[in-house]
Amino acid sequence: MTRLPGIPGLAPLVAFAGLLAGWEVAARGIGIDGLPPASRALAEVPGILADPESLINIGASLYRMALGFALGVAVAVPVGLMMGRSRHVAAFFNPLLMVIYPVPKAALMPIIMLWLGVGDASKTLVIFLGVSLPVVYHSYQGGRAVEEKMLWSAAAMGMGAPARLLRIVLPAALPEILVGCRTGLVLALITMVTSEMIARQSGVGNILFNSLDMAQYDTVYAMIVIIGVLGLALDAAFERLRAALVGWAEPSQALMVGTT
Amino acid sequence: MIAIDAVSKEFETKGGRRHLAIDDIGLAVADGEFVSILGPSGCGKSTLLYIVGGFVPPSRGSVTVGGKPVTGPGPDRGPVFQEFALFPWKTVLGNVMYGLQQQGVGRTQARERARALLAMVHLEGYESFYPKELSGGMKQRVAIARTLAYRPSILLMDEPFGALDAHTRTRLQNDLTEIWERDRKTVLFVTHSVEEAVFLSDRVVVMTRSPGRIKEIVTIDLPRPRDRVTLLLERRYQDHVVAIERMMDAQE
Amino acid sequence: MIRAGRLADTLIGLVPIALILLAWQAVHSAGLAPPALLPSPAAVFTRLAQQLGSPAYLEHAAATLYRLFAGFGLALAVGVALGVAATGSRAVGAVTGPIVRVLAPVPKIALYPAFILTLGFDDASKIAAVFVDAVFPILIATRQGTAVVEPKLAWSARAAGVSPARCLVTVVLPAALPSVLTGARIGLVISCIVVFLAEMITSTDGLGHLLVRAARNFQTVDMFVPLITISLLGLTLNAAFNALRARLLRGFPEES
Ligand SMILES: Nc1ncnc2c1ncn2[C@@H]1O[C@H](COP(=O)(O)OP(=O)(O)OP(=O)(O)O)[C@@H](O)[C@H]1O
Ligand SMILES: [Mg+2]
Repeated sequence: MTRLPGIPGLAPLVAFAGLLAGWEVAARGIGIDGLPPASRALAEVPGILADPESLINIGASLYRMALGFALGVAVAVPVGLMMGRSRHVAAFFNPLLMVIYPVPKAALMPIIMLWLGVGDASKTLVIFLGVSLPVVYHSYQGGRAVEEKMLWSAAAMGMGAPARLLRIVLPAALPEILVGCRTGLVLALITMVTSEMIARQSGVGNILFNSLDMAQYDTVYAMIVIIGVLGLALDAAFERLRAALVGWAEPSQALMVGTT
Repeated sequence: MIAIDAVSKEFETKGGRRHLAIDDIGLAVADGEFVSILGPSGCGKSTLLYIVGGFVPPSRGSVTVGGKPVTGPGPDRGPVFQEFALFPWKTVLGNVMYGLQQQGVGRTQARERARALLAMVHLEGYESFYPKELSGGMKQRVAIARTLAYRPSILLMDEPFGALDAHTRTRLQNDLTEIWERDRKTVLFVTHSVEEAVFLSDRVVVMTRSPGRIKEIVTIDLPRPRDRVTLLLERRYQDHVVAIERMMDAQE
Repeated sequence: MIRAGRLADTLIGLVPIALILLAWQAVHSAGLAPPALLPSPAAVFTRLAQQLGSPAYLEHAAATLYRLFAGFGLALAVGVALGVAATGSRAVGAVTGPIVRVLAPVPKIALYPAFILTLGFDDASKIAAVFVDAVFPILIATRQGTAVVEPKLAWSARAAGVSPARCLVTVVLPAALPSVLTGARIGLVISCIVVFLAEMITSTDGLGHLLVRAARNFQTVDMFVPLITISLLGLTLNAAFNALRARLLRGFPEES
């Protein structure tokens, strides 16, 4: 967003430290149980990460997230690209997407749990739904923006429609698709946490609320920090990947369409 | 009076290299004088105008207007940009009224003044149009009216007629001379057209190619008020045009 | 011609929605799923119509709407103000830039427990949750939009004697309006979603609470009704927003 002079990556670190410092000062100033200082919450983090049970929980959460994300991308990219290349396909899907868009995907959790039970399948399905929408949207935009002439010349060379979609539209739309994937990744994490908060079965969202119920406020905040850092790390890692794959394209200026 | 004193401008390019856009420009423009600036593309004409406007600071040297050093934009110097730069969210009337209202002129009074100016640039009836609904020449006339509205004593015009067709261009040139004859504003006028410069100006400044320096200043001693058609037949006019054309060719 | 095309597009678009309803009805009629798991569409929509006329239900909807608009309004005010200030002042930009970059990818809903602890279980914590989630897209869009405003627009104002701060508000912000509104639209949908989720996680009223309550009592029909309501609400807000946008941007050249 803003380009700062000096070492790249330093400014966010300073900002991160500043936020923690602000929290520490505010907590000490306000002095209520519900807001422990940053130092106390951070002191809890190693304990949580060393506890095998919570590690298994976090691992299970991440596994579901990865699965939901992969499935979401696998379905959403082709759908989005076809929407981008055909007006009829776009007209077919657009109203449906508009109806689904304002519905919080994690809110489907209770209904899906009725059908699929409380296991991994429900949570993965909800994450899948959460990821799909932004990826469809950005693939659609990316597919729509592909230069017509490129496709004409490919068609003139005798390339069939499916091959054109795979060999021309996909690479040309890749920068925009990856923007969608990046948003989708953050959304996957959000959907995961939220659905676990609602289902209260297992996972990081569950740990968060269990400790809230048990008035272990330090743990609550430690979990918030862990989830936050997880979000940051995933985003940064994906940004690396994006830069490596499509370094030739303009740096992404996309908005984070971030919630489920 | 505008006094440009040994002004240079260096830009820092992306790679960290320095690029000298204009070099050691010195020029004094008297009150009520019409001065045109001619020069090859990229020689720094716009940059010079922006510096006088106070939009861009010079790297070296200084500009004073009426004895006071220029440190920023001010309502004594009204710019007219080649790109029009109209406010797209305001109507024609709203664009012209903007400067007046910001200066605290009341709404009704500002509207009256704006209407009169629009009439002067032959745009009656277009008050409620948005800029996107106007042709290029109309937009440029709105831009001129918008600048004239707050009564700057100096006009800084950057290729104001550059994007227009020949016919509209001639009309606007005539309009501009008319306005100038009446108000005698000081005008600094950038153009690529030698005929336009000679027709309008008291003096024509010819710049070298980048980095821009002043190559020559030609005084246009043609009588005023000038009439385009008579001027075209006039020997002295033709001589000036040819002489300046040669000057420009010489640096190709 | 264009008209007919539009109409055809709309009809095509209704196909998948109709198909879903048909499949739903078919599954129900064929007895593939017990009504306790999947009620008939007729039952759901009758209940929806009933509820939309019921004062008790509307009160819940009003609670949701209040939190939504309070959070969104706050996010709009703060996001736009900070975004403009970040463009107008180097110092503000240098401070907000990195902070936004750190916080934007953080799943903000995880902060909701912290809001419960500090602000209580009432409206305030939910409004705060809506606010933190909606403020970032608005702030980022405003910052980006104002940063790329053609400098000559601002120069034209500055030359008329307008102060830099005033120029920021009267020229830079309106010039960035298309981008600001895009951010606001995203923020609005996010507000819809977050308020509902927050109500589901802990609440005693609101549409999200109704869904959770129905789930606890295994009243399947009543689980669908709030979901459809929030979807309708989103569609309505989106349509209203588009109308407002078209009016505000009538002078701007259209884009796609
Ligand atoms: N913001 C900037 N950053 C870097 N270099 C610049 C910038 N603005 C102008 N320049 C450089 O300064 C030189 C002069 O530019 P300027 O726009 O003043 O030329 P000009 O004479 O007005 O050209 P034209 O007749 O094409 O309008 C050019 O070489 C240009 O590349
Ligand atoms: Mg120029």
